[in-house]
Amino acid sequence: MAETTIPKHDVIIIGAGPAALSAAIYTTREDIDTLLFERGVPGGLAAITDWVDNYPGFPKGLAGLELAGNLQAQAERFGAVIEFGEVLKIHDEGELKRLETTSGDYHARAVLIATGSDYKKIGVPGEVDYYARGVHYCATCDGAFYRDKRLVVVGGGNSAIQEAMFLTRFASHIDLLVRSTIKASDVLQKELQKHVDAGKITVHLGTTTDEIVGEDGAVRRVRGTQAGKPVEFETDGVFVFVGLKPNSEFLDGSGIELDHIHLVSSDENLQTNMAGVFVAGDIRSGATMQIASAAGEGATAALKIREYLEGMPHPVQN
Amino acid sequence: MVKNITIFTTTTCAYCPMVKKYLGAKGFTYDEVNLDEHPERQQEALALSGALTVPVTVVTKQDDSREVVVGYNLAKLAPAVA
Repeated sequence: MAETTIPKHDVIIIGAGPAALSAAIYTTREDIDTLLFERGVPGGLAAITDWVDNYPGFPKGLAGLELAGNLQAQAERFGAVIEFGEVLKIHDEGELKRLETTSGDYHARAVLIATGSDYKKIGVPGEVDYYARGVHYCATCDGAFYRDKRLVVVGGGNSAIQEAMFLTRFASHIDLLVRSTIKASDVLQKELQKHVDAGKITVHLGTTTDEIVGEDGAVRRVRGTQAGKPVEFETDGVFVFVGLKPNSEFLDGSGIELDHIHLVSSDENLQTNMAGVFVAGDIRSGATMQIASAAGEGATAALKIREYLEGMPHPVQN
Repeated sequence: MVKNITIFTTTTCAYCPMVKKYLGAKGFTYDEVNLDEHPERQQEALALSGALTVPVTVVTKQDDSREVVVGYNLAKLAPAVA
């Protein structure tokens, strides 16, 4: 029986967000054969973020989409290849790791997990029923459908405040429902106050979101609770930014250690408990969930991967 | 066989360039309707897709049948233009 040849690479990076692309810039620039797997859009959550104000080197800030495009272009300039597909499992076969993917099996001498996170769902009635028909998780994708409409934004972190402010360019008014208090940075809170003063955003602290109610196929209102009493907000749509969910499901059963919130544990070299498998960015346990941090971790991981590969006996032979 | 393709996009949508890049790499030309520039066509996009989102890709075949792909979804887009 003919032996099936599994494609081999020095490094396979799972993901193509800022951590992954930064790592790829470093590995490919040193001629380390690198393949990236991306199941969504290069740039990850950064690509769908309206505006990035705190990434070093851009004094005026820049659109998340532009930053993502720049990172991708820089990695591709040095020869990084992005395969659009999903890694389903990682198997430890000693010097090689075998990755089951939607495009078949691949071998890698080293692997970088940089799968990041996705926005969490609230888990209330109506949320799934009206997904993409009134309930949204991407302001830059779907905000344009709410010109001169009322909106509810759920969340009180950086993303919720940033995206609520972005949505004011379309919506007539936004009710911001915050379960406890606003956790966003001081800078964003000051910006938010300008929109509050202008009457574009009303902040409702201590307000839970309990149900999204629709009629005739469209979202009409949100029911919640404030100070123990039921409250209702008339709205045409709901944008949800209530935190992040790690993209680590594919690691279940792999033997790679996760922490209590399903982020990937690592040592001081960003290496997981599986030798040759590294982690960087938002998916790493202890990460600060910042684009600049992710980029830095990607670079660090690439250098540690190079050290690891230099200590291995055999270069890849395809 | 594909007769023509229309993509509904917005300026800030990250997934829209992905669809355009994919179709461009496959050698397809397409018409783009940017809903930021043509908000009057939002209802048309909604009627076609049933969703308040972009990208919406409308693939019209030679027999004038249509396939509508919502989002950057290669599992649906690839067979739609095959």
